[in-house]
Amino acid sequence: MIPNGSAWTSVSCALLAFVMLDAHAQDAREWLARMNRAVEELNYEGTFVHVRGNYSETLHIIHRNHNGRISERLVSRDGAGREFIREEDVVKVILPEERLVVIETRKDQGRLASALPSYCAELEPHYEFTVGRGTRVANRPVNVVTIKPKDEYRYGYTLYLDRETAMPLKSLLLNERGEVIEQIVFTQIQISDFIPASALHPAIDTEGFQFLEPEASHADDRPIETPEWRASTLPPGFRLSAATQSAIAGSEYPVSHLVYSDCLATVSVFIEDPKTSADVAEGFSSAGSTNAYSRKLNGRSATVIGEVPRQTVRTIALSLTAE
Amino acid sequence: MSEQIHDQVSAFIDDELSAEECAFLVRRFERDPASRSKFVRYSMIGSALRGELLQPDPDMLRRRIHDALNGSPSAVRPAAASPPPQRKVEHARWASPAVGLGLAASVAVAALFVVREMNSTDGASEAATPLMSTVVPADASPSPRVVAPLPPIRLTNYLLHHGEYARLSRTSVHSTVIGSMEQPFMMNAVMIDDAPPQIEGEAR
Repeated sequence: MIPNGSAWTSVSCALLAFVMLDAHAQDAREWLARMNRAVEELNYEGTFVHVRGNYSETLHIIHRNHNGRISERLVSRDGAGREFIREEDVVKVILPEERLVVIETRKDQGRLASALPSYCAELEPHYEFTVGRGTRVANRPVNVVTIKPKDEYRYGYTLYLDRETAMPLKSLLLNERGEVIEQIVFTQIQISDFIPASALHPAIDTEGFQFLEPEASHADDRPIETPEWRASTLPPGFRLSAATQSAIAGSEYPVSHLVYSDCLATVSVFIEDPKTSADVAEGFSSAGSTNAYSRKLNGRSATVIGEVPRQTVRTIALSLTAE
Repeated sequence: MSEQIHDQVSAFIDDELSAEECAFLVRRFERDPASRSKFVRYSMIGSALRGELLQPDPDMLRRRIHDALNGSPSAVRPAAASPPPQRKVEHARWASPAVGLGLAASVAVAALFVVREMNSTDGASEAATPLMSTVVPADASPSPRVVAPLPPIRLTNYLLHHGEYARLSRTSVHSTVIGSMEQPFMMNAVMIDDAPPQIEGEAR
């Protein structure tokens, strides 16, 4: 049977809608891939405001890429001026009010980078993407990428990406009800070809501070080929993306660290060595948009943590089983 | 919060202050709720970053504070013949079982002040920052068992480590770690439902 004019119109509209949706997804895919590269590869320095609920904080960020060697410095402009500095495989957190420097080391950033989630086709059943033209953020023209989850196990994002470089200049994090729960907004940013190494030096004189760092022998994450633990029930789309024995500050023995991701959201599972005192109580905790759920598991303490809704960390935590 | 006071608090918990020094310190916090509240916050956050675990004995501490305020010698040492030992700044290591008893002790004081404020009925003093909230969240689903709140221990360490794997949220996570911590990890007592949730989806 040959379709009549009206049917042809319907088919054409459906096809057009499909093509437009696919074009949106394709555009979003390209913009997100560009954004991932921009955040790592560009040299930039700027000031942003981090808003969580009724609380806001101003921070300054300096990101340096020198021949592929990445370093970053993040300074709180409020309070005592805490600093976070990453120089390749060393992460330092400087706490001036405590006269303390916390150091974490990673000996194999390449392996870590490969474990980081990036845009993948598996995202598409779980999020809806749109790309639109925005106005300006930090005096730079932007495009707006919206990422809307299709279920209640992940947050949504609205990303305002610099039209020239795809650098995220403003990002909104939305909960499962579509409410904005967190914003990061650059008020000023300078993207340049070169940032001197001196810009990464802390402003705080740490002479006389206490330095806390892991034992050298525990300083790197060791991959686990066959994890002893697994989550038997995962929210749709989440996959195991890394499994390591990690040196966690404050844990006397290496901690099993499983990383689950849907290519966008990331959830970590930390399971302490049984020799570590099992003093973690059960239940939820949160910091900003980060939720955590802890429980005891065969004499060990297990904590699931991530920038995902509460039920996601709980679901994963309650399904943890030994292989 | 001066370093001197910080050291004195640690020394107090370690039972290294004379009775007079002990009473002076406690009265100082009694008079200065802002300083006390700030100390509680800093101590707990510092402890979380250091990953120290401590189960304070509020009853013991309360007794000692009570004795110190009333001049009773029973629970405090006799006046030391020499000044309390100065705490040296040293290069500590995470993996050491005792990262620093004095530092851990400061957490006990923090916890103690929270306990005292929670137990206070006269309402005369300002409440300390409720780092260990016992509020059951409105959206927590009801279930048969109530458990104690999780203290803000280790979570910041986990968050710092997790942040390295959180590509899209990494800046947010790091910002949370170094934030001025007016809104630190909030622990909630929750109803635990041990039944695993059912999900329409795959299990991996």
